[in-house]
Amino acid sequence: MRVALSLTVASMKMYFRNRQAIFFSLFIPLLIMVIFGLLDFDRFEGAEIGIVDQAENEASAAVIERLTGRADELLDVEVGTLAREMERLEEGRIDALFVIPAGFGEDGVRSVVQATTDERSPQRAALGVTLVGQALSAVAIERYGPPPEASRSGGVELAQTTLRGDDRSYTAFLVPGIVAMSIMQLGIFGVVFTLVQFRQQGVLRRLMAAPVNPAQFLFAQVSTRLTVSVLQTVILLFTGMILFDLTVGDGNVATWALVLALAVVGGILFVTMGLAISGVARTEEVAAPVTNLISMPMMFLSGVFFPLDALPGVVTAVTQFLPLTYLADAIRAVVTDGAGVTDIWPELAGLGAWAAIVFAAATRFFRWE
Amino acid sequence: MADPVIVARDLRKRYDDIQAVDGISFEVYPGEVFGMLGPNGAGKTTTVEMLEGMRDPDSGVALINGIDVTREPMRVKRIIGVQLQANAFFDRLTLSELLKLFGTLYGHKVSAQALLDRVGLGDRGKSQFKTLSGGQKQRFSIAAALVNEPVVMFLDEPSTGLDPQARRNMWGLIKGLQADGTTVLLTTHYMEEAEELCDRVAIIDSGRIVALDTPAALVDGLLATGFRNQRPTREATLEDVFINITGRALRDE
Repeated sequence: MRVALSLTVASMKMYFRNRQAIFFSLFIPLLIMVIFGLLDFDRFEGAEIGIVDQAENEASAAVIERLTGRADELLDVEVGTLAREMERLEEGRIDALFVIPAGFGEDGVRSVVQATTDERSPQRAALGVTLVGQALSAVAIERYGPPPEASRSGGVELAQTTLRGDDRSYTAFLVPGIVAMSIMQLGIFGVVFTLVQFRQQGVLRRLMAAPVNPAQFLFAQVSTRLTVSVLQTVILLFTGMILFDLTVGDGNVATWALVLALAVVGGILFVTMGLAISGVARTEEVAAPVTNLISMPMMFLSGVFFPLDALPGVVTAVTQFLPLTYLADAIRAVVTDGAGVTDIWPELAGLGAWAAIVFAAATRFFRWE
Repeated sequence: MADPVIVARDLRKRYDDIQAVDGISFEVYPGEVFGMLGPNGAGKTTTVEMLEGMRDPDSGVALINGIDVTREPMRVKRIIGVQLQANAFFDRLTLSELLKLFGTLYGHKVSAQALLDRVGLGDRGKSQFKTLSGGQKQRFSIAAALVNEPVVMFLDEPSTGLDPQARRNMWGLIKGLQADGTTVLLTTHYMEEAEELCDRVAIIDSGRIVALDTPAALVDGLLATGFRNQRPTREATLEDVFINITGRALRDE
């Protein structure tokens, strides 16, 4: 144990004296997070709305046609069932939902079109409400003539309620994703390049000439990466709290403990993956493209920067099973929803399955020389 | 005679289609400096690595102080000092830190300063390995091999690539080890080095020992066959001239 510990201490010293490694593994994710967070994707000027047509008559068709037929890009309309559109609204994929009631536009019926807006994107929701309101009055005038004729024949009213969602801003989505991404980067890149370099320089051989058990050396490597990974998680979350008003679950000890435990679990998974890769990629020239080939798709297809359902279904059918997807989802569930262990068991199972796979690959491919 | 420190008994090792070591046997006694000579690819390094516990032989026995290397490599590694042909140590650790780390690996508390002084690197404790010159690197790797006060030192081509000054310095270091009673097994390409340092040498070719004796006895044997050097024998060599002009002082300090 003394040997493993002194190797760990040495490995920590080496890690923290390597300015370049610190820059790439600690600072870059932080930078990406701050840049993407400050970009504020909510400022997009178009509104996405959902319409539930319970009237299914000429009048409602006329309203929908007006909305979908707009020449500008201000509105993106989807017509669907109440359940589906409500779900989309809750998930933050549309900004406002409009329900056109049965009997809409029929003589003598006073219709109330119910609008439900998302408070997380107030500007876009307001835009949607304005445009729908315009369409409603335009159709009313078309059918009944200008007011007061229109009001005499029943009329149309737009009522608005706001959906009070949890804090699900883009940054609340982004920060946990970046935490997961940095755990992956740290594991894969840190381990692959260090080990390939050690092996090429012959440091591993020199170490094996000493009475050192390979397990002791690996223990040192893994525990160094895990320490950094936990540290990095804390730094990123704190930055999110300071810059973006992020709340970490209920902010209690259990939530933090679970997030850091996930940093360790994810760390072990990706460090092991790095060990496996370093066995396949024997030189730095090979290691660079191979690590990128493995980490890049995960970075962009695992729901780090944007939700998975922004991708085509064919793609998500595969990417929902990526290890980084499980890790990002689990961390996000804990950070934004305050989920407990029991809530994230599917993700934990996914991570466990991947850990088994990469462990088998590492024992199969890893070589000292 | 005392029990041998190193015993190699019919060691064999095959890599794919090359029989790298093809039945090598020899013994090295306490306090001896034993040299292994041979062209590149003769099997010197493979033999040394099998004795160091870094490579398992296909067959044969390797004993260090009576301990079977194949069966108990860790016990052997604990009592030997190893300098590999390609010297490499961790970047970003100072020489002192490296020596202390290696001390812990062997379970020895070491005085880094004393070890550095011993190899003439006393003022470089805060330097990093990669900033050292070739000769300093070799000397440091000897210091690292000394952390456990080994009973036997394995030096694989300790002076390859060194300038004449650094090589002479290395010879001084190896003679110092011998004077301290350490048994030394070294490989080299330099006959002059073998003559200067080794009590006995084994000449290896194609994985076999083709000659084994003291340097003087080997030369006498050759002369006895009627061999005469074609060049006229002179009292000095070009290297003597070089050293005489440029001096013995190390150039990498």
